[in-house]
Amino acid sequence: MTFREEKRDILRLVFVLSDRKLLFAAAGLFLVGLFSIFSASLGMEKHAGVFVVRQAIWGIVAFAAYTAVLKIGYVRLLELAYRLYGIALLLLFSVLILGHVSRGAQSWIGLAGLRLQPSELTKVALALLLAKHLCRHPVEGLKDLAGVLALAGTSLILVLAQPDLGSAIVLSVMIFTALYAAGTPVRYLWSLAGMALLTLPVAWHFLKEYQKLRLMVFLNPYIDPLGAGYNVIQSRIAVGSGRLLGKGFMMGTQSKLGFLPEPHTDFIFSVFAEEFGFLGSVALLVLFCFLLWRIIAAGVKARDLRGKILVASIAGWIWFQAVEGMAMSMGIAPVTGLPLPFLSYGGSSLLALGMALGLTQSVFLENPKPDDDL
Amino acid sequence: MVYSFLALAVSLCFFQVLRGGSYAALSTQNKIRVIRTSSPRGEITDAHGAPLAVSVRTFDIVGYPPDLRKAGALEEVAALLRRQGIPATAQGLGESIQKQYWAPYRPVTVASNLTLGQVATLVSDPSFPQFLFPTPVFRRVYPAGPLAAHVVGYVGEVTREEMESRSAENYRAGDLIGKTGIELVHEATLRGIAAEEAVEVDALGRRRKRLSMTPPVKGKDLRLTLDLGAQREAQQLLGERKGVILAMDVRDGAIKVLYSAPSYDPNPLTWGVSSSEWAKLLKDPDRPMMNRAISGAYPPGSTFKPVPALAALVEKVVTPGTTVYCPGQFKLGNRVFRCWKKSGHGTVSLVTALKDSCDVYFYQVGLWLGADRLLEWSQKMGVGQLTGIDLPGESRGNLAGKEWKKRRFSESWFQGDTVNYSIGQGFLLMTPLQLARVYAAFANGGKLVIPHLSDEEHPAGIDLHLPPEALGWVRKGMEEVVRSGTGRASGVYGVSVTGKTGTAQNPHGEDHAWFVGYAPSDKPRYVAVALVEGGGHGSSAAAPLVGQILAYLVGVER
Repeated sequence: MTFREEKRDILRLVFVLSDRKLLFAAAGLFLVGLFSIFSASLGMEKHAGVFVVRQAIWGIVAFAAYTAVLKIGYVRLLELAYRLYGIALLLLFSVLILGHVSRGAQSWIGLAGLRLQPSELTKVALALLLAKHLCRHPVEGLKDLAGVLALAGTSLILVLAQPDLGSAIVLSVMIFTALYAAGTPVRYLWSLAGMALLTLPVAWHFLKEYQKLRLMVFLNPYIDPLGAGYNVIQSRIAVGSGRLLGKGFMMGTQSKLGFLPEPHTDFIFSVFAEEFGFLGSVALLVLFCFLLWRIIAAGVKARDLRGKILVASIAGWIWFQAVEGMAMSMGIAPVTGLPLPFLSYGGSSLLALGMALGLTQSVFLENPKPDDDL
Repeated sequence: MVYSFLALAVSLCFFQVLRGGSYAALSTQNKIRVIRTSSPRGEITDAHGAPLAVSVRTFDIVGYPPDLRKAGALEEVAALLRRQGIPATAQGLGESIQKQYWAPYRPVTVASNLTLGQVATLVSDPSFPQFLFPTPVFRRVYPAGPLAAHVVGYVGEVTREEMESRSAENYRAGDLIGKTGIELVHEATLRGIAAEEAVEVDALGRRRKRLSMTPPVKGKDLRLTLDLGAQREAQQLLGERKGVILAMDVRDGAIKVLYSAPSYDPNPLTWGVSSSEWAKLLKDPDRPMMNRAISGAYPPGSTFKPVPALAALVEKVVTPGTTVYCPGQFKLGNRVFRCWKKSGHGTVSLVTALKDSCDVYFYQVGLWLGADRLLEWSQKMGVGQLTGIDLPGESRGNLAGKEWKKRRFSESWFQGDTVNYSIGQGFLLMTPLQLARVYAAFANGGKLVIPHLSDEEHPAGIDLHLPPEALGWVRKGMEEVVRSGTGRASGVYGVSVTGKTGTAQNPHGEDHAWFVGYAPSDKPRYVAVALVEGGGHGSSAAAPLVGQILAYLVGVER
């Protein structure tokens, strides 16, 4: 194939053959994110504009990763699943040793001047691993269940050790949805959920003070109105003060006057909701729903069980982070520091999402089309 | 999934549509202010209650960024301050506020270090704006100045790095934090935690309601084991000379004197010095900021000799009756090692060798012991290890063993190294505190104490299980040093001293003079070390210092 043919082939793959609705939904969310980041960074004294440019560059990188994954195809990537997961574990391990401490957690590693968050890339590797492993060793007995939990739990424990509670919960949600999609007997799923509930009091002891505070503040933000609770109160004021129509783009006062913490990352939804109000927020919700619907549709139609599991865990991941990110901004879920998918500022998150969507589209391409002869 | 998004939509509807009005009102007049009232830091006193570090109250005038950024506000404040004789310009204030800015609800300082009188006149000025608040601030004063600087250390404003590394401890810009010395090590005890009151204010800045209040916590006072009187005695004894006088209770390691000369005045450092003054202090060739007692590593010279003496007795390499002939030199292969006394000491045994500090005897004993046992014993006595004193910046000295030599010079250990090591020369380095600890073990019957300054700490020492008989012979040798040997100058101050002189070779100039001794000889109570940098002979330069400081301490005891 000549270079030109190959280029045409890739363009056809990305813009014609794959699910364009899914691509446009993701692109729409990303654009909303860019605008919100721009608005949020106006309140910061030095960085106006810088974050938007960086986020746009990361968007291009993520799109390149998306295209590459799509071209390679999930079947070939599944062959590498164990090795990729091994690399992810190594990265997680090295971050514990060489990592950069940010806000109490050691979750970054420097790589050629860039800072990468291996916990984000782990999500992609885990989705691949679960798809491959659960298809090879379907959960029929306790032994199979223990096997997959031990394998997938390793990354979970390494992420918890950082300590990054939020990402650990995302990984658990992914494992759960993957088990569900793989047709695991329902009684196992119930007992897993029960076990998770039972470990909560134990886990409490392992949490750092600031994490305990965050959780307690969720129950009552006014116990610490200037520390951890401050974020929740101010974020809720931001969302609430948007009212029906919002204050207008770049007119949000909570984010501009510095009352909103981390407005361009964790609390990006608060910035958006303050400026675009209830109608804008509901539109954003609909866009997320649409994206998830397209992802799930790709999985439901898949004939390949591996594809189903893969897409299910990706859907679980994006669903959880989207709901948590928005709920946290309203103070109806604890603050976890997870990015809102496609919107929050952050390269690692975008890159991982790009790859995840690439995998989803690749599953979609293998699905039977209405005009296929079966 | 569908339910979760429906739930989100419902809560959005609740917060934005149903309750939107009240949140909008809150956001337009976000009037949360934090009022911080600092709380004094604990005082540091010496063993008798003499103040070493105290907190005095001054006043700052603070305001909040949203108020100060209103048009004309800064000009108004600057004019007010100038009327009261405090130099200020609107532009200068603006820059200072910009630098201090942290969050809109955190106050920034517009004038600091005011007296109560100044504040009273300022507040009673009819144009004193309602958005400014006087607030008490405690500042640190060190009444003993340079006398106890190396012990007490000093405090300064917390830096951004310190705030980040201690993020759980809730420091705020402008808070004081210990930078070195006791102030640093016992920061958690001494620190007072400021009261923080969060209030909602109205458009004029008047308080409407209290949102929360964290009570102030006064820092705890700390009594040290240090004796300020003895410390002053040490300062006068050293005079203009560089060096150390250190004294410690032999029974539990309580430090009574720790004076390192030259010293520095911590007061200006606490109140803030210019960067050029700071650089000058750091670059001073006499290194006043270095605590020589714990950070200075020197060759111990002959003060080390009791260690091989004890080792040889315990290992049964020699008996008290074993004699060595000293002709003034010692031949090893084709190398000649000299005794400090060219004419030689003649026939010497353990006690006489210690008394006259005969080098040849220890050369021979060192070879008989062998490098392994010699190094093992110095390690046992704490050489090359931190003593564990509650001060920052302690040096380990240098055990200078075989592995170290291999690493440093890629050379194996020669017998000549053993010979040099036996008289405390070569690469062996010790801090004055490490030596004091070794002699305390001789004095207290073989317990390696853990030196400490805080009166509240009573760390248990390490029992070395030394045979009393061997210990008795070494002590006898050192008693002779003072009675009729090289350390006579220490025994003329009315208290019986047991100790050892030392003269350490100094490649940069005149030799360093050492004396380490304890008193009273029969019932030891205190051990003292004197080191005079470039002081020449231990017998003349250092021994009298130890004699006098021990006489002072034992005298106070009586």
